[in-house]
Amino acid sequence: MQCIDKRCDGVDRRDALRLGSLGVFGLTLFGRSPAFASIGDRSKAKSCILLWLDGGPSHLETFDVKPDAPAEVRGPFQPIATNVIGTYLSELLTRTAKVTDKIAIIRSMTSPLGEHGIANQYMLSGYKPNSVIDYPSYGSVLSKVRASENVLPPYIAIPSVRGPAGAGFLGTAYDPFSIGGDPSKASFRVKDLDFYPGVDAERMNRRRAFMDQLETFQRRHEKGNANTDSRFEQAYRMVISEKTKRAFDLSLEKEGIRSKYGLGSFGQSCLMARRLVENGVPFVTVDYNGWDTHESLVLRLKEGFAGAKVGVGLVPTFDQGFATLVEDLDERGMLDETLVIAMGEFGRTPKINTRGGRDHWPRVFSIALAGGGVRGGIVVGKSDAIGESPAERPVSPSDLAFTIYSLLGVEPSLELQTEDGRPVQINQGGELIKELVS
Amino acid sequence: MGFFAALLAIAIALDGPEIDFDTEIIPILTRSGCNSGACHGAAAGRGGFQLSLLGGDAAADYAAIVRQYEGRRIHPIQPEKSLVLRKPTMELDHEGGDALDTDGAKRIANWIRQGAKRTKLRQLISIDAEPRDVLLPSINAESALKVVAHFDDGTKSDVSRWTVFSPSDPFATSVDSSRSVATVHRGGQHTIIARYLDRVIPLRISVPMTDEAIDLSSEPSGNFIDEHVNSTLQRLRLPVSAQADDSTWVRRLHLDLVGRLPNRQEAETFLLDSATNKREVLIDRLLQSEAFVDYWTYRFSMLLRVFPQPNDKVGAITYHQWIQQQLRDDTPIDALARTLLLAVGDTHQVGAANFSRASSDARSHAEFVSQVFMGTKLQCANCHNHPLDRWTQDDYHGLAAVFARIDRGQIVKIADRGDVTNVRTGEPAIPRIPGTQYLGKDVDARQAFADWLVSPDNPYFARAFVNRLWRGMFGRGLIEPADDIRDTNPATHPELLDRLAQDFVEHKYSLRHALRKMATSQTYGRSSLPNAKNRADDRFYSHALQRPLEPEVYVDALVDVTGVFDRYGDEELGKRAIQLVDPTTPSESLDLLGRCSRRTSCEGVAASSALPAKLHQLNGELINRKVISSEGVLENWIQSNAKDAEIVEDFYWRALSRKPSNTERDYWIRQLSELNNGEKKQVFEDFLWSLLNCSEFASNH
Repeated sequence: MQCIDKRCDGVDRRDALRLGSLGVFGLTLFGRSPAFASIGDRSKAKSCILLWLDGGPSHLETFDVKPDAPAEVRGPFQPIATNVIGTYLSELLTRTAKVTDKIAIIRSMTSPLGEHGIANQYMLSGYKPNSVIDYPSYGSVLSKVRASENVLPPYIAIPSVRGPAGAGFLGTAYDPFSIGGDPSKASFRVKDLDFYPGVDAERMNRRRAFMDQLETFQRRHEKGNANTDSRFEQAYRMVISEKTKRAFDLSLEKEGIRSKYGLGSFGQSCLMARRLVENGVPFVTVDYNGWDTHESLVLRLKEGFAGAKVGVGLVPTFDQGFATLVEDLDERGMLDETLVIAMGEFGRTPKINTRGGRDHWPRVFSIALAGGGVRGGIVVGKSDAIGESPAERPVSPSDLAFTIYSLLGVEPSLELQTEDGRPVQINQGGELIKELVS
Repeated sequence: MGFFAALLAIAIALDGPEIDFDTEIIPILTRSGCNSGACHGAAAGRGGFQLSLLGGDAAADYAAIVRQYEGRRIHPIQPEKSLVLRKPTMELDHEGGDALDTDGAKRIANWIRQGAKRTKLRQLISIDAEPRDVLLPSINAESALKVVAHFDDGTKSDVSRWTVFSPSDPFATSVDSSRSVATVHRGGQHTIIARYLDRVIPLRISVPMTDEAIDLSSEPSGNFIDEHVNSTLQRLRLPVSAQADDSTWVRRLHLDLVGRLPNRQEAETFLLDSATNKREVLIDRLLQSEAFVDYWTYRFSMLLRVFPQPNDKVGAITYHQWIQQQLRDDTPIDALARTLLLAVGDTHQVGAANFSRASSDARSHAEFVSQVFMGTKLQCANCHNHPLDRWTQDDYHGLAAVFARIDRGQIVKIADRGDVTNVRTGEPAIPRIPGTQYLGKDVDARQAFADWLVSPDNPYFARAFVNRLWRGMFGRGLIEPADDIRDTNPATHPELLDRLAQDFVEHKYSLRHALRKMATSQTYGRSSLPNAKNRADDRFYSHALQRPLEPEVYVDALVDVTGVFDRYGDEELGKRAIQLVDPTTPSESLDLLGRCSRRTSCEGVAASSALPAKLHQLNGELINRKVISSEGVLENWIQSNAKDAEIVEDFYWRALSRKPSNTERDYWIRQLSELNNGEKKQVFEDFLWSLLNCSEFASNH
């Protein structure tokens, strides 16, 4: 029996019960084992690009089409074949269909959390939110554990970051850096990165020396209380580095490449993500809003505006950016060491509602991964006939977290300390999604 | 099993007392996690089997177990064959795993054997739990937990075995539920929530944070605050830091009471003053100042949501002025709350009526009121009874119904009709004072609610308010977050909170009185420098908590030090950031530093320490423009031919409220010597820049 297998991992029942009793009233007695069997040294990914589809993309209109379901479930779009025999995607993902051999799709993600805020946190940290510990997101953990001499911040959000993708108990030093604007705009500059008029590197260095001196004086004055401000240090290093400024400059890209990604905000954000990864940034999140499609699926997912001849809605825009990113990384020989993840906080209800939209549905949904050692061309798990529940191989956000950390070469059982010195494992209760790496 | 043996087993079981479904079976489901939000307690159930969240609805749960699925969940003849037992014991495949232990399974089997009845033998009246507050000697020590339930048939029983014990911090304490024993893993004061049916009791278990006992009995005490704080410190063996020196204290007091730095003269005068009561005198002077009114108007504007309606700024201005006037008059806070709740009329003339326009509908109005005046988050109870608190859906929709008839136009008035649907019943909600009583048709519901809220024995109002003030003065609420007061989120110092609330009520809900009480305590006066033994303390006040300035206070301080103003939109030059009525007044700096939007209430925000804010401070216009300005204090000094040392000292006073040490002064003089005028000006600019960027300036410490 499937569940019995889960117990053949050397964890005795008492341990499982003890672990299970940790949640606040949650009593997550799912019989999952503690961290074990990560992929250890075999990890390849050096960096990760997360395409965060904020609001919760419909699995039924993207990676998990149900052509045989009743009309109110099936929805308005048809399936299309891909370059992997037997794998079908929504007709809105034409470009992705040509790189499906490089992509792994999980169709059996499942979570009990169906509200944006808490669902985001669960998907972005692998921990269900609790009132005592604010868990860090993947990018923040990576910032913490990857010692980097790079001047660029280790965790960058384009164009900005939604609430719960932050550093949690690791503290604001590990929050993502938002570039703060739309990189598709010609006027885009990262704010306050260019020298203020009248200030040059020499003056900046003097100011910094003065600051250091002041902090030292104050430590003496206050007998060791002043804490060195790592954020100040980072800001200073960014301002004096030319290389940093170039990394954010999309005008250095060939015009053909820019248009291939799509000239809109999302496409150019994907391109920016690639440039940043090339420049050694370990974690980049591209935040793509608007997926909370409670109404008008055709308009919002396909057309983009009423009467559009060529669809410029959410899915075609995503399709262009995502497929081009995977292709571009592959052509540059970077795909193997760059993990690309496309996901949102949950899926959408199987039945289309009276407003022609779909509501929140966490019980089963799909996500896509590529590169970074992930096996391409596979589908993990399965939802039932109407995309309502997992039919095979349920995968929890905690399993996903375990797997993401493993792929990035971070041991999921690693303990980090909260500010007051409490050890917290970066993952608890997750299991490796073995299909992705075997 | 032979036939006779089986018969015998049934006979023995039937001899036992009848098992009560509501009080003996439901707790098993809760304790085993069956009815948690992640499992069958989810709104849509799980695997086709739905239970009420944490057993809130016994009748529905009984129907789900005994009647639904054509009764196949139970097997009356061979109870152990019941689905309801075979799944959670993993005899059959169960996604939730092996959830039920032997005792629970046995009791459910017995209940089925007795006929799976729900006769409602008894009702729970109350529970007692122990220990409510215990100090254990060291980490890894154990404490037995005991919960006794009292029922309406006069019986009581030890239900520890069937109680859910949830550590608030699972890494600090753990509970072995088979033995009902808690183990503590870290020093400090920890909470374990005991839940039996719908009752919760927080249990406090503490372990000293250092090895050596301390004696604080001879510590000077300003008032009752110190007695409470010191007794907790003594219990946790946290030695106290010394009192802050005068310059630190005067700066801190100004920032907390008037939201601005003391100017040089104020600071110097205070330091030179030799009177023993000079701290009390200064506290009183600041409390009576117009700057106090300005600063607290700013704080109240964040809390009470002063923001302009679309194309209508007049209302916000009127609201702001009204708040200002109340603070100037020291209007008792209970009267202020009552006026806000009841005000009607033209929002261009009646300032308080704008309170009702801050919410778009009755439900958000109820959430706003409960957050601001009760310090509670009622919104969870919109969709289901609050699992961690006492609030029910009827409470939530009932409070919304209190505000259902408010017409939120420019002229706020009470309409003849207006309902809120109670989503639980589908019927119009009946106005209700949360957790207390329904209000009849002939009662003015808003009036009745206001009467209840501000009555001296109301358990929420005064506590929520003094907790908020405490947070302002000490950097952390006694209950944190300050707007999440509930039984399952107990205060660090519950007796102190009660005492403060009582004192607040006894002194006519006076804001100035409450702040004065806090400011005159020795606790408030402590240095923020930790010693080796109290460094880990972040909530017991053995030393003051260092905290970043608020965005508005920080930018105002920059202006005060440099003498160079910021212009906000069309506002006149010289307007301070804390005086801005409209939180959308253009200011890139305030946006980057993270000001409160006031669309939701803020309890006070710290300036952002994120990288974009740092880049702005370091390389943006905010500070750069002020240090190079040809109009400010620095330019005046440079033109004056004053000595370098004099200029340096002046900026130390302006920014840090203290004199530079000799080492500091010598360092700066060295940097400034032997330069031509152009170079010297630049070095002065860079000196000032570094002063405005350093942490001693940017924090309240």
